[in-house]
Amino acid sequence: MKPYFERMVSFGKGLKPGRITRLASSADALRGVEGEIDEAGGRAAAAGLSTEQVNKRGSMTVYQRLQYLVDEGTWHPLHSLYNPLANKEGTTNVVDGLGKIEGRWAVVIGFDNKFMAGAWVPGQSENILRATDLASRLNIPLVWLVNCSGAKLPEQEKFYANRRGAGTPFFRHAELEQAGIPVLAGIYGTNPAGGGYQSISPTILLAHQDANMAVGGVGIVSGMAPKGGFDETMVEALIEQTRQFSARPPGGTDTHYEGTGFFTRVCEEETGVLDGLKEYMRAVPAYGAEFFRAAKPKPPAFPADDLYHLLPVNQREVYDFDEVLARLVDGSERLEFRPDYGPEVFTGICKIDGRLVGCIGNRQGYLGKGYPEYADYPGIGGKLYRQGLVKMNEFVTLCGRDRLPVVWFQDTSGIDVGEVAEKAELLGLGQSLVYTIQQTDVPMMLVVLRKGTAAAHYIMGGPTANRHNAFTLGTPATEIAVMHGETAAVATYTRRATKEHDAGRPLGPVIDKMNELVEGYRDTSRPLYCARQGFVDEVVKLNHLRRYLQAFAGAAYQNPTSICPLHHMLLPRVIKG
Amino acid sequence: MAEEVLAPLAGKVLSVAVTVGELIEEDAEVLVLEAMKMETVVYASCAGTVSGVVVKVGDQVEEDDVLVSIEN
Repeated sequence: MKPYFERMVSFGKGLKPGRITRLASSADALRGVEGEIDEAGGRAAAAGLSTEQVNKRGSMTVYQRLQYLVDEGTWHPLHSLYNPLANKEGTTNVVDGLGKIEGRWAVVIGFDNKFMAGAWVPGQSENILRATDLASRLNIPLVWLVNCSGAKLPEQEKFYANRRGAGTPFFRHAELEQAGIPVLAGIYGTNPAGGGYQSISPTILLAHQDANMAVGGVGIVSGMAPKGGFDETMVEALIEQTRQFSARPPGGTDTHYEGTGFFTRVCEEETGVLDGLKEYMRAVPAYGAEFFRAAKPKPPAFPADDLYHLLPVNQREVYDFDEVLARLVDGSERLEFRPDYGPEVFTGICKIDGRLVGCIGNRQGYLGKGYPEYADYPGIGGKLYRQGLVKMNEFVTLCGRDRLPVVWFQDTSGIDVGEVAEKAELLGLGQSLVYTIQQTDVPMMLVVLRKGTAAAHYIMGGPTANRHNAFTLGTPATEIAVMHGETAAVATYTRRATKEHDAGRPLGPVIDKMNELVEGYRDTSRPLYCARQGFVDEVVKLNHLRRYLQAFAGAAYQNPTSICPLHHMLLPRVIKG
Repeated sequence: MAEEVLAPLAGKVLSVAVTVGELIEEDAEVLVLEAMKMETVVYASCAGTVSGVVVKVGDQVEEDDVLVSIEN
């Protein structure tokens, strides 16, 4: 299909000096936020013991294990700042991301053995479920670095039980296996109770010689028969019992390699376990890089650093989305779908490393006279109108038909509102897009470039749809909230302000409340908060966005569950006409 | 020869970045229009000397209204 894909339509233009000058302080602000994110990530990664302390004990840290395991330059961290239940260490105590092992993409996740020997902590199971969902969506192996001391007991009530609690990942592992997706585990250290199931639930278990896994460990030997409290005699007895027990923790390699045979392999060196994982990764099913390429890979025609001068940090300032896209896709080339319809969104085919993806993004600014066609007011990009919604529905449907992974770019203030908009069916068309996404069953990723607001945030790429959205990225300009803080303050307090005014009371207290709410919205919609709460799976530097697109496309095409031959595709023919 | 910079959309003038007699480059910021809660930056369509600034901050303009003239 050379005529379609070898050289598609070029777009974008070089940055002009005027724009560089005007956006200089905006670029500085964006880099400033990136610095804050880096610092927060550094603090989370430093939780617990130092690398030297762990090494002195004869172990590698999870970061050292990852560095040895993952192909150089292919690590794409996710959830670096995820900490939804606000653990004071700033982490859920697992480290995960997308990386290549022996040339094949995998979702890799490991317990941070620097902190409480890799304990379960609040919020961790949600983090793990994001990793299992990702492996499921991309149909690629899940690789575990298990080193888990079990539950952090003083806080067990926050994570032990529940539908999405610490036991849920074991069912997810079984689901992955049911779907033919292997879960490979390298097992280190002491893994009692929860750690035991973390160890036993994967497909292939490769253990370090000092590792053990067990239904229960030293910590619970005394708790089996509660006596209503403790006294000194009992505690002394416990100390003696523990001393004897800790000399020989249950479930070592002699038991689970020689005895039960649960461990597939036991390695003398820590790196031996990682070498074993590499060996198994070489054996997993994966298409070669060339198999699904529609053209030779090429870099974008414009430098990635331009993005700092193209995406204004001022949420109100209009910019050209097409110029952003031109810095992200192969050769700055595309085939645009219905350019003369629904001007508020771009839809089209682009290439990432020579692989085809569907791209969708909000265009910004004035949309021209007579649009939207159903209203007597002008349209502005960022908002969604009837044609844009219809176009996205059509485009996603065709991407599903042609088995194209979809990359969404959001900067949306919402769907048009009002009686006229209701009559134009926008409520129904928004939900139609949800239905359309559900129907496609192709991997999708989302970049929230700036605003993710109102229902438009839900329907554009489904960041809340774990079966479709592989992951969502934020940028230093991301802002996610149901609406702008000032709009929320008006909606919440205007009625009260009117009452106070009519009663002749001072408006000061209401105004204070309104400003408090605006401030609260500001704090809870910015990149750091979004990353901690999991609104985005990672905040990525603007000049690293393409790396994540490459990882997504590479992983999505590694071992797809269904394929469409290039010469059977309909979308390029529809675009050509 | 004078070139006119026109309003790309109807809106309120939020700021004006040039003054009469000023030498500007092509694509230099001329002014910012606010419409529908969004700010649209208007850039110079050519290099030259600003020969006229027709609007001031707070003015309401219509689409295609002349904003600034540039002698090039």
